[in-house]
Amino acid sequence: MLQLKNIHKQFGDNHVLKGVDISVGKGDVVVILGPSGSGKTTFLRSINFLERADAGEIIFQNKTIETKTATKKEIHALRQKIAFVFQNYNLFQHKTALENVTEGLIIARKMKKDEAEKIGVQALEKVGLHDKLNAYPVQLSGGQQQRVGIARAIALNPDVILFDEPTSALDPELVGEVLEVMKEIAHDGITMVVVTHEMDFARQVADKVIFMADGVVVEEGTPKEIFVHPKEERTRQFLKRVLPEDYTVYI
Amino acid sequence: MEKYFDLSYLWGAIPALLPFLKVTFTFVFWSVLFGTLLGLLLTWMKIQPKNWIKKIAEGYTTVLRCTPSIVLLFLVYYGIPYIFMTFGVNIHHIEKIIFVIIAFTLQFAAIISEVFRSSYDALDKGQIEAGLSVGMTPFQVFRRIIFPQAFLIALPNFGNSFVLLLHEGAIAYTIGLIDVVGKAELIIADNFNTHALEIFLALAFIYWILSLCIEKVFQWLEKIFRKGHIV
Amino acid sequence: MTNGLDYPFLFKTFFVALSGVPIALLVTIVALLFALPTGFAFALSSLNNVPFIKQFVRLYISFVRGTPVIVQIFVVYSSVPLLLDIFFTTNNINVNVYDVHPIWYAFIIFAFNTTAILIEVFRSALSAVDRSQIEAAYAVGLNSVQAYRRIVIPQALIVAMPNLCTATINLVKATSLGYAISLHEITLKAKVAANVNYNYVEAYIDIFIVYLILCMVIEFLFRQYEKKLSKYKMQPSAA
Repeated sequence: MLQLKNIHKQFGDNHVLKGVDISVGKGDVVVILGPSGSGKTTFLRSINFLERADAGEIIFQNKTIETKTATKKEIHALRQKIAFVFQNYNLFQHKTALENVTEGLIIARKMKKDEAEKIGVQALEKVGLHDKLNAYPVQLSGGQQQRVGIARAIALNPDVILFDEPTSALDPELVGEVLEVMKEIAHDGITMVVVTHEMDFARQVADKVIFMADGVVVEEGTPKEIFVHPKEERTRQFLKRVLPEDYTVYI
Repeated sequence: MEKYFDLSYLWGAIPALLPFLKVTFTFVFWSVLFGTLLGLLLTWMKIQPKNWIKKIAEGYTTVLRCTPSIVLLFLVYYGIPYIFMTFGVNIHHIEKIIFVIIAFTLQFAAIISEVFRSSYDALDKGQIEAGLSVGMTPFQVFRRIIFPQAFLIALPNFGNSFVLLLHEGAIAYTIGLIDVVGKAELIIADNFNTHALEIFLALAFIYWILSLCIEKVFQWLEKIFRKGHIV
Repeated sequence: MTNGLDYPFLFKTFFVALSGVPIALLVTIVALLFALPTGFAFALSSLNNVPFIKQFVRLYISFVRGTPVIVQIFVVYSSVPLLLDIFFTTNNINVNVYDVHPIWYAFIIFAFNTTAILIEVFRSALSAVDRSQIEAAYAVGLNSVQAYRRIVIPQALIVAMPNLCTATINLVKATSLGYAISLHEITLKAKVAANVNYNYVEAYIDIFIVYLILCMVIEFLFRQYEKKLSKYKMQPSAA
């Protein structure tokens, strides 16, 4: 359903993405792993043009978009169908939780306010925040803010949700609540592409795990293939660093 | 001491001066209005990624910041008719207040563009990306997300700039505009240049009270707009 | 139609305007020399809630910030001679107040004005230095004076630098109002030169350029000094 081919991105002399290819099937949960600086966040951001890739193409629902020449209209249309959850939540500071969720529906989708609010309340219920509808971002904990961020994404009823390290700005004790919500969404069959450092999440939820390093995809496969039988030396090195010694026992 | 200082002159001057605040208000109002519009344009230029657009706006601000109001006023007062004259158009008959409004519009735009820019800088830019990611157009993001927040942050400094302009505007009398300062000068001339101190004190009090009022109004506005937003 | 700008006059008058720079700078420097220590002392006293000074400072700042500089000039210029005259006659000093050079009034006015501005600058700079810095200074055994002199003030100064620069530039610009007390600074000198043949456009272009240069130089100097002061804030070169 979503395919990216030969994505390149350079910041000055820094070649961050050197031809990345991935494909995501409908309903898949794809987790991208990799050391920091591997380009995984840049790659994720280039999917909905928060970063414009220098070269490559995005094939989405049988339509091909050249990243270099994509028009405003093409980008706008793409963003209507692909939602994004940010590392730092990026909630609208002057709007309540509910307003954060309905803003895109009312303004971008031209939905009626009461209809949007109905969807917004449902989305916030889904993430367990039905009692925080009228709270402002500053009144919410980090975990709650990120759940609003997720509600904002699912309310748009997107075909794909992109998650950019959704738990890395959170205190450890707040990570669990966000991952729970993400798991639930995954079970609902929404297509997800997740950049994360949460190995347990990747292991339990992912249909496909992609390991990136130095701007290229090093290896991809099922969680079992990657975690238990990694083929590439770089993948093994990485897993050895981030996983406890006897990790494979749990798989 | 009475031969020098007579309070009755002070009390007498206030009702004589107050009606002329209308002139002061008129040019301050238009300068703030046009200056804000020009300032918005400059702010927009300053946050552009293109370097030369940014440089023009920043250069403008630097030059205006370095120019004393009185120099700016006279440059406009003598310079604009001169430029028109080189095209053979005589604009010597137009009213003085127009030159005052032009000069202070140019000045206020520079001041306020810095205020707007710094309140824009204070915003968390992740919100722009979030707005785009939920499918809003860049203009919708600006109107719904950026502007309301930047407006609130800018409000206190907007008030300060407003007061600043009122004060800088006090030199408008130098090109012969009869505003509240011009009137004070006339009263003193009528008194054969005696009791100037009382008249100037009256003038100072009027400005002082006015500035305090403007400050209060902006504090009140801020409270209203902030209501129910952030605790 | 006009005959175009009078370029020889433009050129000649530029140096006339330039010759007013020393006066403008003298007034600026004297005002700063007075205002820097006085403003700092008042800022410190009002931050430490010294009675009366706090109230006085509040009123003083409110007046200076609430009235135009030109009106302050009018008030000082018309009140100080009266006070001086009374003082001279009661003490039988044989000085005619109207012989006092206008630059003395300029000193008084701009010192009066700038002190109020600098109180505010220092007050916000001093409160910007984290309270824990003083506690840490006490903890290593410094007394209050040492803590302020060695720890707080150096940090506060850096915070204050941009505002001090703005205050200085505003002060230089404000000296252009010296015309009101017949002070022969940049603006008045060039204007007088223009009176002869009504070359006002040229004169004001010259004045404009002189202030522009003066202002840029001051900004440059402040930036250099600030760089020197804030070395410790430099990021390590590799990000």
